[in-house]
Amino acid sequence: MKHCLIVDDSRVVRTVAGRIVKDLSFSVSEAADGAQALELCRKEMPDAILLDWNMPVMNGLDFIRALRREQNGADPVVVFCTNENDSEHIGEAIRAGANEYIMKPFDADIIASKFAEVGLV
Amino acid sequence: MQESTFSELSDLALRHSGQHIAASKAYLLEARLSSICRRENHASLDDLVQCLKARPNPRFELEVAAALTSKKTSFFAERDLIERIVTVALPQRLSHSKTGRLRVWCAGVSTGQEVWSLALRLSEEMGSALARAEIELVGTDVSTDCIETAKRGTYGHFDVQKGLSIHRLMTNFHRCDNGDWSVGDPLRDHVHFRRHNLLESARDLGAFDIILCCNVLDGLAHAAQRQALDTMSAQLLPDAFLFVSPDEKIEGISPHIKPSRAIRGAFERDRSTKSDAAA
Repeated sequence: MKHCLIVDDSRVVRTVAGRIVKDLSFSVSEAADGAQALELCRKEMPDAILLDWNMPVMNGLDFIRALRREQNGADPVVVFCTNENDSEHIGEAIRAGANEYIMKPFDADIIASKFAEVGLV
Repeated sequence: MQESTFSELSDLALRHSGQHIAASKAYLLEARLSSICRRENHASLDDLVQCLKARPNPRFELEVAAALTSKKTSFFAERDLIERIVTVALPQRLSHSKTGRLRVWCAGVSTGQEVWSLALRLSEEMGSALARAEIELVGTDVSTDCIETAKRGTYGHFDVQKGLSIHRLMTNFHRCDNGDWSVGDPLRDHVHFRRHNLLESARDLGAFDIILCCNVLDGLAHAAQRQALDTMSAQLLPDAFLFVSPDEKIEGISPHIKPSRAIRGAFERDRSTKSDAAA
């Protein structure tokens, strides 16, 4: 079973996204900010990371930059999932190493479609 | 909704667009006609039908029938089919073309995502022979509202996130001030949309190298399926291809259509039977 880490400071978003991702046959773990997520990735690298942008402690952009520097041969698929919906933010995320980008609000079909785009399902 | 109202509306749909609406799908009528009811100040479908009977208006009947069609579509909903058209069928047609001009008809496209998907995929064929071809895409639907949406090529937040990768979205669309996303000008150059009812002759549309008709025929009554297939077969150029969704079984419905020997899963016009000539 593939493993997805959901990183978002909103517990509601983590719960909703977690249910959707579980329905896609993933096991799920959660982090409330980038720093927590980085710690979890150092212990066990997930197959996929669903990543918010604006979070306390460490935001999504800083997280993905750090992750891509130290992923040590692992290549987790990172899908941003954020309220930042303008072209500049999307471009910045892609340049930082994001594989896909979900603009909030999302639904189950959007997550399934984006995961399919990057070969996760 | 009264039983007689369902009968009137399903008869109207059959008459104008060939749709078969089963009694088990009666709930769809409420959903699909709600905006017309609101606009016309009808409190219920029963009122709408009373109005249709009291003041017959063919134009309004057609609008109601068109509103009853399924609008379900998304970008790259038929990804494999689009891939086969771009990588196999169009190159084959191009290799036999003396002019380098090819025409594709996407029939029953609802709000147009299928046509834009094909246009987008074709734009990615930079290095292939198709890049030098002049390919015209024509999208049609029975619903005027759908065709207007397709022409605008502007889609909402949820629409553009289903079937489109972020790379394709960023490369081919621009974000509008209201948060919608609009198809960029380069994709629009060779794309046209027109209202057309598959139960009527398509002679005005001209002849085509490829016809794509996905998830339309399944919703039609048997006689309408045959009529629609006859309409499309009449517009197929010699050795041209008709594609339908892999789930749709059309063999044996029309004597004018037979499985293609050149491309598995595609169909071609059966020239051993008599049919209206293509324009």
